[in-house]
Amino acid sequence: MKHSKMTLSAETMNLGFVKKVEQLSGSSVRRCFQCGKCSAGCPMRSFMEHPPNRIVRLLQLGQFERVLAGRSIWYCASCETCTTRCPNKVDLAAIMDALRKLSWDAQGPSKESLVQLANRLFIDNIRTYGRQYEMRLAAVFNLKSGKLLKDFMLGPSLFTKGKLKVFHKKNRNIGEIERIFSRIEELRRKGEAT
Amino acid sequence: MTPAKNILNYSYYPGCSLHASAKEYDESTRGLFKALKIGLHEVPDWLCCGATPAHNVDELLSLSLCAKNLELSNQVDGDLAVACAACFSRLKVTQHRLAENEEKRHQVAYALDAPLALDKPVKHLLEILATDFGLDRLAAAVQKPLSGLKVACYYGCLLTRPPDVPELDDCEDPSIMERVIGATGAETVSWSHRMECCGANFTLSRPGVVLKLSGEILASAKRGGADCIMVACPLCHGNLDIRQKEIEEASGRHYGMPVFYMTQLLALAAGVSTSKLGFGSMMVSPVSLLKEKGLL
Ligand code: SF4
Ligand code: SF4
Repeated sequence: MKHSKMTLSAETMNLGFVKKVEQLSGSSVRRCFQCGKCSAGCPMRSFMEHPPNRIVRLLQLGQFERVLAGRSIWYCASCETCTTRCPNKVDLAAIMDALRKLSWDAQGPSKESLVQLANRLFIDNIRTYGRQYEMRLAAVFNLKSGKLLKDFMLGPSLFTKGKLKVFHKKNRNIGEIERIFSRIEELRRKGEAT
Repeated sequence: MTPAKNILNYSYYPGCSLHASAKEYDESTRGLFKALKIGLHEVPDWLCCGATPAHNVDELLSLSLCAKNLELSNQVDGDLAVACAACFSRLKVTQHRLAENEEKRHQVAYALDAPLALDKPVKHLLEILATDFGLDRLAAAVQKPLSGLKVACYYGCLLTRPPDVPELDDCEDPSIMERVIGATGAETVSWSHRMECCGANFTLSRPGVVLKLSGEILASAKRGGADCIMVACPLCHGNLDIRQKEIEEASGRHYGMPVFYMTQLLALAAGVSTSKLGFGSMMVSPVSLLKEKGLL
């Protein structure tokens, strides 16, 4: 990570964004005193440009663009280690969820498109079928990401082991499931939910 | 399977993986519970819990999907038994978050268009076996002791974290898996990576992550002297078992480490027919290990 200079002023600090993160996650970023325990235990640290403790520091300073610009938030595995070990009860795993939600809604500017694609397809599957069909998920993912049929998820050995279902049927209550999705959209349109 | 014949009865949420890539987890769970006379009655029309992808980008959706499942579970009597560690976590998180946040409770009730019914106790199979059924009864049900088998119990992330949510065991130093499998006479090894992340659902989007993290877990189990690893999560299983060959190729190290679902080993000990345990579905075959230990 390049250490570009950061000037702090009312113009460069977006504290409104930070408030949104705190509201969505139900966790304060101000409680953090930078002990670094979260990053010390983070299994995904080596894949991130900003380790978890720096993400919290950047949020304290209102630097949301720096936080969202990289891949870090998309490389968090939601393992809950940071949340478990923080001496100040900063719920960093929930903060990561909130950051991804805000980045997702803004359609970027994250660089990590593959994780986002996998998430999108997973959620689409629920809306269409009610349940997850792993094979369909893997097939569509490989198609859309250009990996085609290279990956193991479609390997012939999984077929012979009987692990992949070829036929997908929709839940009987798929109408009720669709209703959940559309009512959440409605809440958001009315501004009653983020 | 009339409830009267059973000692205990539960409603059952298998989750998506147990109907597909983790079918041996489902089969061995049903086999084990039948042998122990614990009734499992599947919730009709259950839906995907949303898993990591839903809460990753849309907490309200995640909470709503889980709340819907909790509502559906009320059609069947008995506490809700859950096998998959990830589904278990999502359902418990939903109960926890909604209990403490009125605004979210209103939003989810609106999404479901129904009053919320979230109170059914959600229990992981481990808790049912260790607490409700009890380790003494479990030990008494053993027909084929697993003595001599060295097992690395792998908890992964979601069985015990975050604090106060799963309420299964100590969040940093649990022992419930060791206690449960210990009741069969198996030896449990002490090892460093039993609570480290396997790479979870990066298996689809960024498999390189899994090769690294799961590779470290396999290496740690080997260092600990384990013959095999025991898991309670389909995603962990997929990463450690299905990806094991790739991990070996990438790292140049050989593990040949069978990865069992907890119920496969427990059912084996309880004398359930091996044809119902799904050993043939495992990518790393356990047959020679089990033969060597006189268990097959
Ligand atoms: S563990 Fe908590 S207090 Fe310490 S750096 Fe991380 S968020 Fe801040
Ligand atoms: S939840 Fe995310 S940020 Fe926290 S320790 Fe796990 S991978 Fe790292």
